[in-house]
Amino acid sequence: MNLNYSEEQVMLREQIQKFCESEYDFYTREKIVKSSDDFDSNVWKLFAEQGWLSMPFSEENGGLGFGAVELAVLFEEFGKALVIEPYLATVVLSGTLLDKSNYSKKSDLIEKICSGDMHISLAYAEANKNYDYLNSDTTLDNNILNGTKTLVLNGGNSDKVIVTCIKDKKLTLVIIDSNTKGVSINSFKTIDDQSCAEISFENVEIDNDAIIACDLEAIELINESINLATLCVSAEAVGCMESCYLKTVEYTKGREQFGQPISNFQVLQHRMVDMFVESELAKSLLFKAMLEVDSNSEDKYKHVSALKSQIGRSGKLSAQDAVQLHGGMGVSEEMMIGHYLKKMVSIDALFGNSDYHLKKFAS
Amino acid sequence: MDINFTKEDIAFRDEIRDWLNNGGYPKHVKEKTDKGITISKQDQIDFHKALGEKGWMGYNWPEEHGGTGWSATQLYIFNKEFGLAGCPPLLAFGVSMVAPVIWTFGNDEQKAKYLPDILNFNTWWCQGYSEPGSGSDLASLKTKAVLENDHYIVNGSKTWTTLAQHADWIFCLVRTDNSGIKQEGISFLLIDMNTPGIEVKPIITIDGEHEVNSVFFTDVKVPVENLIGEEGKGWTYAKFLLAHERFGIASVGASMRQLNKLKKIVSELDNPELDKKIRELEVSLSALEITELRLLSALENGGHPGAESSILKIKGTEMQQNISQLYVEAAGEYAIMYPGPHGYSSNDKPAGPDYAANSLSAFLNLRKTSIYGGSNEIQKNIISKFVLGV
Repeated sequence: MNLNYSEEQVMLREQIQKFCESEYDFYTREKIVKSSDDFDSNVWKLFAEQGWLSMPFSEENGGLGFGAVELAVLFEEFGKALVIEPYLATVVLSGTLLDKSNYSKKSDLIEKICSGDMHISLAYAEANKNYDYLNSDTTLDNNILNGTKTLVLNGGNSDKVIVTCIKDKKLTLVIIDSNTKGVSINSFKTIDDQSCAEISFENVEIDNDAIIACDLEAIELINESINLATLCVSAEAVGCMESCYLKTVEYTKGREQFGQPISNFQVLQHRMVDMFVESELAKSLLFKAMLEVDSNSEDKYKHVSALKSQIGRSGKLSAQDAVQLHGGMGVSEEMMIGHYLKKMVSIDALFGNSDYHLKKFAS
Repeated sequence: MDINFTKEDIAFRDEIRDWLNNGGYPKHVKEKTDKGITISKQDQIDFHKALGEKGWMGYNWPEEHGGTGWSATQLYIFNKEFGLAGCPPLLAFGVSMVAPVIWTFGNDEQKAKYLPDILNFNTWWCQGYSEPGSGSDLASLKTKAVLENDHYIVNGSKTWTTLAQHADWIFCLVRTDNSGIKQEGISFLLIDMNTPGIEVKPIITIDGEHEVNSVFFTDVKVPVENLIGEEGKGWTYAKFLLAHERFGIASVGASMRQLNKLKKIVSELDNPELDKKIRELEVSLSALEITELRLLSALENGGHPGAESSILKIKGTEMQQNISQLYVEAAGEYAIMYPGPHGYSSNDKPAGPDYAANSLSAFLNLRKTSIYGGSNEIQKNIISKFVLGV
C-alpha cells in the first residue's frame, strides 16, 4: 500500500499552484468574470502550453496518458483558485469520451482540443429527467435530429456539440457543428460564474460519419464520461474545502473584536477544526474514488457516488461556516470566501446531488 | 392553560386578513413579491404608506404616540399574518428601532419633529451601528463626533448599512468621549442623509444584490439638537433599542408560507429524501412557533422574558436558511443556473422550474441572517451568560 502522491504528481500540483498564484489570483479572476467573455482565451492558451489540455488523453491520440489521480490534482487546485475556464466541458466530458470511443475522426478532434483550438460540449441533459442521462426525448430519424438539451456546460462557446439522442430506440451519440442550420443556442450564466446553454435542434441534418457510438457502447461512454466528470468536480470541492478552512483560520487570526483576535474564541476554533476534519475526510473519499477510477474497477461508480454524496453535504456546510465566520465580509461579493459557497452549491447540483448519490451508492 | 386564541384575537386576525386580501396590501407590490421579484424603493414606500393610512404603521407603538396600542398577542398575529401573506418584511429602522428611542429618551421637540413622519412613512431611516472594525464588538466603535459651538462634527464610517441608498435619515452611534471604558462615551445622533460630507457606497453581496452600503462621514455638521438624550448615554439607548427588535424576529409566518409552498413543489417530485427533510423542518417550525407563544404569554402575564428571546433569533434564522436550502435541493440540477437577483427576462427564460432562480437568490441572501442583528454566536453567548448563568 502507498497512499502518497508520486514525485511527478507532486510536481504537477506545484506547477498548477504556481500558475494559479501568479496568473490567476482572485483579482484577475474577477476581471475575467466581469468581462463580456465567459472565460479568458489567453488563459486557455496557457493551459495548452502547459500540456494540461492533453493530460487525460491516451498517448496514441496525442495525449499525455495521465489518469484520474492527475486529473483530481488539477481539479483540486482549480477549486482552490475557483478557475472558471471550461476544462470540465471540453477536456473531461467531451474529450475523454472521444478518446475512449471508436469514432473514426477522433484523433483530429483531440489534437485540436490539446492545442487549445477547439471547444466541444457534451449535451447530456434534458428538462425534467432528474439526472437520468440515458433517458432522452431527442430523436435521430433518417439522419434528422430533433430535441432540446439543457444545462449544456460551455454550450455557448463550443465549436461542436456531442448530443445524446435516441435512434431506433437506442441511445446514440452524435457530434455536430454548433453553427449547423437548425441549431439554436441560448447561453446563461451559472451561479459559479461559468456558463451553460440550452440548445435546441430543429430538423438538423446529420452526416453519416457524425455518429460516435450507439447502444451499449454509447451508454458506457456516457456513464464513464459523467463518472469521471463527477470525480473531477468532487476533487474541485475538496480543493474548495481546504481553502475554506485555511482562509477562515487566516481571517479569524487577523480580525480583532473585544480586544483580541476572534480566533482566540474556542467556539470558533472548534468550528474551524470541524471544517478541517471534514476536509480531510472528503480527501480520503477522493483517494478511494480516484484510485478505483484509475484502475477501472467494477466499484468505480459506487465510490465516486460515495465521494459526491459526502462533499455535497460537508462541502456546502464547510463553505457556509466559512461565510459565517467571516461575518459580513463573508456575504460580500468582493471577498473570495462567498464564492466558494456558490461553487459548492453548483457542484452539489451537477451530475446528481448528495441525496441522489447516496441512493446510487446504496443500490 | 389554553393554547387557542380568544374570540377577540380571531376577530383581530380576520380583520388583518381582510385588509391583506381585499385591496389594503397594494396589488402591484403583492404581484412582485409573490413572484419573488425584488421590489423598488417606490414599492416599499407604497406598501408602508398603505399601512400608515390604515393606521397600522405604529403597529408596535403605544396609543399615546399615535400607535395601535396592540397587545403582544395582537402584534404576534399581525406579524404572522403579514408573513403568511408574503408581504415584504416591514422596514424596522424607523418604526421599530429609532422611534421607541425617540419617545423614551427624546425631548418634546424631537418627538414632534420625527414621530409623525415615521408614522406616515414620510421619512426613510437607516441604522448607523456597525463599523469596519466594530461588528460583534459594537461598543468599540470609532466614528467620532466633536462638539463645536452648536454643532457636532462627525468623522468616520459605518458599514452594512441596509438600504442607506434610499434613506433620508440615519441614526448613529458615535464616540463623543474616549477617556473612560468603551461603552461610556458613546452618543446617539440623528443625522440628515442630505448633509454635506456624507457619502454612500454600495456593497454588493454574493446574491448580486445591492442592499447594504458603506457610509462615510467627512466633517459632517450635525446640529446639537439632533442628539438624543444625554451625551455619553448612547450605549444604554442602543441596548434598549435592541430589546425592541426581538418580536417578529422568528419570522414564523414567513417561514410557514415558504414551507407550505415548498411542500406543494416537492409533492410533485417523488423525492422521499426531500419529503423527510420537509417534515423535520415542519416539526422544528412548530417548536419555534410555540416557543415564541410561550415567551409572549409570559410577557402578557407580567413576566420579563429577556435573554430567552435569543432562541427566536437563532432558531428563526436557521429555519429561514434551512428552508431556502431545501428549495435549492428541489431545484436539482437547475440550481447551477443563476441569472442574478432579478431573475430571467421572460423571453430568454430557460427550461427548469420557475422557483430555481429565486431559490438561489434566497439561499445566498439569507446567509446574512445568522450574521446580522448580533450574530448567532453572540446570541449563544447571551443565553449562556444571562440564562444559564455561566
